[in-house]
Amino acid sequence: MTIAGRPSPRIDAVVKVTGAARYEGDADLAGALHAALVPAAVASGRVTRIDDTAARRIAGVVAVMTHATAPRIAGATSPIMLQDPTVCFAGQPVAVVVAETVAQARLGAAAVEVTCDEAPAVTTMHGALDRAYAPASAGHVETDSRRGDPEHAPRPFEVARRYTTPTHLHHPLEPPFVLARWDGDELLVHATTQAVFSHRRRLADCFGVPADRVRVVSRLLGGGFGAKGSGLFPCMALCVMAARHAGRPVALELSRAEMFTLIGRRQETVQDLRVAATLDGALTAITHDTVAPTSMFGEYADPTATVSRVLYACPNVATSHRLVRVHAPQPNPMRAPGEGPGSFALESALDELAYDLGIDPLALRLQNRAAGDQHTGLPWSSNQLEECCRVAADAFGWHARPAQVGSLRDGRLRLGWGMAAACYPVYRMASHAQVAVDPDGGVTVRCGTQDLGTGTTTILAQLAAGALGVPLDRVAVEIGDTDLPEGPYSGGAHVSASVTPAVERAARALRDRLIERAIADPASPLFGLEPERVAIADGVMIGAGRSERVADVVARTGGLACTAHAAPESRPIASSYAHGAIFVEVGVDPELGEVRARRISAAYACGRILNPLLARSQLVGGLILGIGMALHEAATTDVRSGRIVNASLADYAIAAHADMPRFDVAFVDDDDPHLDGGVKGVGMIGTVGIAAAIANAVFHATGRRIRDLPIRPEAFID
Amino acid sequence: MRPFDHARAASVRDALDLAAARPGAVFIAGGSDLVPLWKDGVSAPPAVIDISRLPLDHIDVADGAIAIGALARMADVADHPVIRRDAPAVAEALLASASPQLRNAATIGGNLLQRTRCPYFRTPGFPCNKRAAGSGCSARGGDDRRHAIFGASERCAATHASDLAVALVALDASVELCGPDGSRTVGIEDLHVAPGDRPERETVLRPGELITAIRVPASALARRSRYLKVRDRASFDFAVVSVAAALDIADGQVREARIAAGGVGTVPWRLRGSERALRGARCADPDGVGSPGIDDAAARATDGARPLGRNGFKLELLRRCVRRVLAELTGALEPRGAGGAA
Amino acid sequence: MTRSFADRADVTMTINGEPRRLEVPASATLLDLLRDQLGLTGAKRACDRGTCGACTVLVDGRRIYACLALAAMQDGRCVLTIEGLARGGELHPIQRAFVAHDALQCGYCTPGQILSAVGLLGEGRATDEESLREQMSGNLCRCGAYPQIVAAIRDAAGA
Repeated sequence: MTIAGRPSPRIDAVVKVTGAARYEGDADLAGALHAALVPAAVASGRVTRIDDTAARRIAGVVAVMTHATAPRIAGATSPIMLQDPTVCFAGQPVAVVVAETVAQARLGAAAVEVTCDEAPAVTTMHGALDRAYAPASAGHVETDSRRGDPEHAPRPFEVARRYTTPTHLHHPLEPPFVLARWDGDELLVHATTQAVFSHRRRLADCFGVPADRVRVVSRLLGGGFGAKGSGLFPCMALCVMAARHAGRPVALELSRAEMFTLIGRRQETVQDLRVAATLDGALTAITHDTVAPTSMFGEYADPTATVSRVLYACPNVATSHRLVRVHAPQPNPMRAPGEGPGSFALESALDELAYDLGIDPLALRLQNRAAGDQHTGLPWSSNQLEECCRVAADAFGWHARPAQVGSLRDGRLRLGWGMAAACYPVYRMASHAQVAVDPDGGVTVRCGTQDLGTGTTTILAQLAAGALGVPLDRVAVEIGDTDLPEGPYSGGAHVSASVTPAVERAARALRDRLIERAIADPASPLFGLEPERVAIADGVMIGAGRSERVADVVARTGGLACTAHAAPESRPIASSYAHGAIFVEVGVDPELGEVRARRISAAYACGRILNPLLARSQLVGGLILGIGMALHEAATTDVRSGRIVNASLADYAIAAHADMPRFDVAFVDDDDPHLDGGVKGVGMIGTVGIAAAIANAVFHATGRRIRDLPIRPEAFID
Repeated sequence: MRPFDHARAASVRDALDLAAARPGAVFIAGGSDLVPLWKDGVSAPPAVIDISRLPLDHIDVADGAIAIGALARMADVADHPVIRRDAPAVAEALLASASPQLRNAATIGGNLLQRTRCPYFRTPGFPCNKRAAGSGCSARGGDDRRHAIFGASERCAATHASDLAVALVALDASVELCGPDGSRTVGIEDLHVAPGDRPERETVLRPGELITAIRVPASALARRSRYLKVRDRASFDFAVVSVAAALDIADGQVREARIAAGGVGTVPWRLRGSERALRGARCADPDGVGSPGIDDAAARATDGARPLGRNGFKLELLRRCVRRVLAELTGALEPRGAGGAA
Repeated sequence: MTRSFADRADVTMTINGEPRRLEVPASATLLDLLRDQLGLTGAKRACDRGTCGACTVLVDGRRIYACLALAAMQDGRCVLTIEGLARGGELHPIQRAFVAHDALQCGYCTPGQILSAVGLLGEGRATDEESLREQMSGNLCRCGAYPQIVAAIRDAAGA
């Protein structure tokens, strides 16, 4: 097995387990001021007066910045960026207090008096669904789709249901942090960002400075899940503005409570699904219509219904995405954006169909396998969904499933078995990468991408080590800095797919040039050999029975660096998706309404797996987020004030150790000849399908079909 | 949080003197509930009196009662062999509370005095009569899923959050207080006060008063006791509904019953109707599930309950919890595990 | 003897084996002291409300949330943070097991998980996998490394 492909331990595991890992917020902040945000108390209106007299009297308070005094920036995309007095959501920052310490800044913020002219607010989309409108796009794709004629398709049997999912919050454990430092026209930002290059460009645009005068650094992230990309930018800009305003470096760390409001959220959904089929289960029509809220100032729609476009073969399919404007924070992508909640609806509806028709839910999926992407008309680059189903079903023991609902018991618990299929599109971005060897023989990979815990650091090292031919422990990695060659932002499960071809290209180029040097160097044992006869393995250059260490070649001839670029095809000839199948056993205490996932068997086809150890961890992590989606998580908004009610981790429940089932996660071989590098990504698909599999299992256990997440005890009480 | 001053008490007397010397100073033992309240700006004492080193952490048996010092940590009480054997509902309630880290630091006395988890109370900016008298109650017409079906007033419907208090009510415990006017003993049911017209008043503690000990009568009733807690998350979560029950059964008949519920009342709620239904009842045939006594007790549990907008499900859930605990206690069903955890 | 009120306190603590005499603000938490005063940033301020466990440290051998403990109240105590767990460059068995089992992803909850596990093994309370999970539930992990964490703890405990 080559180095890329091995289950190597994370190369940053030791610094993480010893506490030596320095996250951006762990930096010594001596010399920096600290910012605290003053929230608006209304959900809609205008700031008419800000009285900072009391705030300025607090010892250590250096400045109070409001929309009236904030630096002007170009292209403000959010009222968080303090360019005007409009208030668009409860909790919106309307002033920034800057002080010598965090405590002083917070005391100062509490002392600022804000007066607003309050305007009528729409604080929830419920009750305003009739005001839904069509956005410009859903995620990266078109808002509506249609093939065939769903309304007039034959529908011998139909399931028509509404499913809902609540607002979810990313809640990485590491709070968002920004440290902004101006030096004349030059800007240095250390931040917990998933997108150093994208944020650099946006900062340059906002502040009217050339991009090469802006440096953004994010060396190590404590989780992101989407919150530290577009969601972070407004607060990042605010901190940069505060640094400009105060004339000194400013650090901003959001509190956990602020993380409920200021860095985005997964929008709640109302999804109407109609699935029609013949009596023996062949799908004839699917319509999947979704409504979600967006803010008053920004438009974002998760691609929620897109899963219905591609996952199954069906001649008549119509999907739509609609938004309702709400005085609420701007939603943004959160792990498995779109497919996460969308698969809950689709896979639940199919399960309902299966039971109504008396067909095994797994058989229904297999019967309706899509031989190609019927939405685009392209063939699949590869599709191992069937194999995923087979492997996971076998591991789970699905063949022993009793069709009768409520027939499995464990003492007083009702057990239930449910399944779902999953897919997630393969995204790829352009990426640069540099692989360099130092005079001492050490190898460094440099790529301006990020590691959120995804394992990117390790993957980069493995790719370079494998393509170059050196031991993994000789490879160092530098990421998260715009001084490095540009890499992709961290999102869309696309980083590995994006960096792999670039790193391998750079490493191979480096290998080839090192070989060229050696065979041209009379001092080398390999002098005069044909390049095709020379290889590098384990840090040793070998050819025709002769060898020397790469380190010795380099020591003589000097360090060397190769940079490469790779970009996806602009016109793909095939449609690329990762696939999966998930089988869940739940235990339900039907009297008390407690639901616990007991075991999960899942199999995924994600193309080339660069590190099975890390990839499995990603998938398990995705599944766990899905357990939370099914059973625990919901942010509640107080309709009168537009404020989040449960703004603490005591009240917004993230799955804990005790909620864990047994996990059995397998990879299915998925050699994809059409993908440069062969990588599909594993970051998102774990959260696709699992919530439906759990709800389907609950149905199998109890006969109760729950269509509104999260599933809570009251669902079992009429 | 707003800066405060600190003094460390060397004795109970010292603590009382410090409290008298500094108006507004509050006692701090573990601090697990106080510190977050201060960080969120719910309260802001000018000074704290550190009572954490006072010798009030013993667990002894004397005069037919288990005496638990108010400074005993939750984890230590839960682990104590006498508690586990003679007051299992207390051990189970403690182990079902919070998290191990909190149980290591939090004290018994502090646990009883913890403030409600009502998110409107804990988030300044929301109208809240408990936090800011007369400002209104945001739970009314708001998200009241976690609020009370018993003991609410027009001004406040916030539930009491302590699991331990519910178990102690079921075990007829008493609380020893010490203050500037001397020592006194208060029944556990009298410690907490329903909101009525003054939701800011939560206990009968007078200014400067300390809890020094809790006494649990050692009895057949206490020995046959259980605590059941329904949570949204499998652990580290407050009760949606909980029940503590204690039965004195002799010759197959219930001689005495005490049942209390959590997650449903503005104070730990005694289910007297359920108790009456049980007294004298014969125990279920071990092969059966439930008995007239248990069914009746479950039905009586919601006498006087008044649901709000979104918590009506708690009525039926409470009835089911009562039935479950009683069935386990009377041998009709196998218990599901310590601490009432699934 | 009655002590008087002050806005600062002198505390003597042993931190990672080293005796320290410190002057702390009365309202500083142990977490504030560790991170901001002593530069021991292994304990994380992830929620600062005792709801996530990322600030777990051992005080006199017991695992607690440092964000809820006032520094001024720790006089005479013995504090162990993640930085003090490895001895002379030699990883603690639990640290080694975490690496081997990939019991971490972003690593932010990791110091707290590890110290919580050390505390748990000292408590001797977790007898099987289910009770181990229950007893670790005061440490949240958003990346979802829970199964690997439990596997690592069982591995280290068995050793």
